[in-house]
Amino acid sequence: MAEPVSAGPAADVVAGDFAEIVRRHQSMVFSIALHFLADPSAAEELAQDVFMQLHAKLSTLKSPEHIVFWLRKVTSHRCIDRMRRHRMPQVSLEDLPESSVLEFSPGVQPADPFLARRLQQLVASLPGKARLLVILRYQEDLSAEDIAEILDMPAATVKSHLQRALAMLHDKVVRTMGEVGSGK
Amino acid sequence: MKSELMTRFEDELRNALRRQQPPQGFADRVLARAAEIGSRQLNRAWRDLWLKIFDQPLVPANLLRWATVTVVAVALVAGGVYYRSVQRERAQGEAAKQRLLLALRIAGSKLQLAKTRVDQINSGQVNSDKLHSDPTANQQKRE
Repeated sequence: MAEPVSAGPAADVVAGDFAEIVRRHQSMVFSIALHFLADPSAAEELAQDVFMQLHAKLSTLKSPEHIVFWLRKVTSHRCIDRMRRHRMPQVSLEDLPESSVLEFSPGVQPADPFLARRLQQLVASLPGKARLLVILRYQEDLSAEDIAEILDMPAATVKSHLQRALAMLHDKVVRTMGEVGSGK
Repeated sequence: MKSELMTRFEDELRNALRRQQPPQGFADRVLARAAEIGSRQLNRAWRDLWLKIFDQPLVPANLLRWATVTVVAVALVAGGVYYRSVQRERAQGEAAKQRLLLALRIAGSKLQLAKTRVDQINSGQVNSDKLHSDPTANQQKRE
């Protein structure tokens, strides 16, 4: 879901309340990290670091839209960096521990929590770049062009990677749970 | 064209990846960290300012070097001029002293001479007075 941003003057946002920016965008930053890392405490640590970096850079960001773009970009790159630094292994779906199943926040309970948790596990089992593409596409509802800008990739590459990741996910779902929406 | 199943799958994916709220107090923890960093940066800015004031010369090093050379040169010249003037004054003073002593010596000898003459005159006057007061003595003198 794209973040609704106020259309007020840029200077108000830039010079204004850092606390307000944190409160407005905390769920976006935290959720990208959470869905990527599948670890709530690591996700909180990463999200805090992103906001600290924002605090230092706030005066250089020109508009609310720029702040949202910057937050998505920095969070994505930090996720990839963390994966490389910690050498997060490529885990198969079967190897994912039960603790990596994420708890849903109150009020965002999906229609089928079991399927949703399984899908989260499947997303967490994807390779890093593909995982990030899926998160930005389906959590943030971004277009391939927006994702390409955030990840510094050609839009065509984003589209093809996204299609491949989606096919991979769908295949895994079908293999483990049967066809989604087939009533099984 | 996407199949209906794929579209439904994507909807389920959207559902699964809905945004989650961070743990309770997340924003407060972020703001506390930001405040701590802010105060640390302020302290560092003050420290840097003081270091800048006391560590770095207020004038460029090159200018300072030339200023030092100029001050030393001016001090040497002024010292030399002052020494010369003191020497000259001392010599003039000495010459004046010598002239005064000479003048005093001359005046002294003149006074001595005058005194001698006065004494002589006085002694001559006494003798003539004696002659006037003693007629026999005057007569004898005339004879």
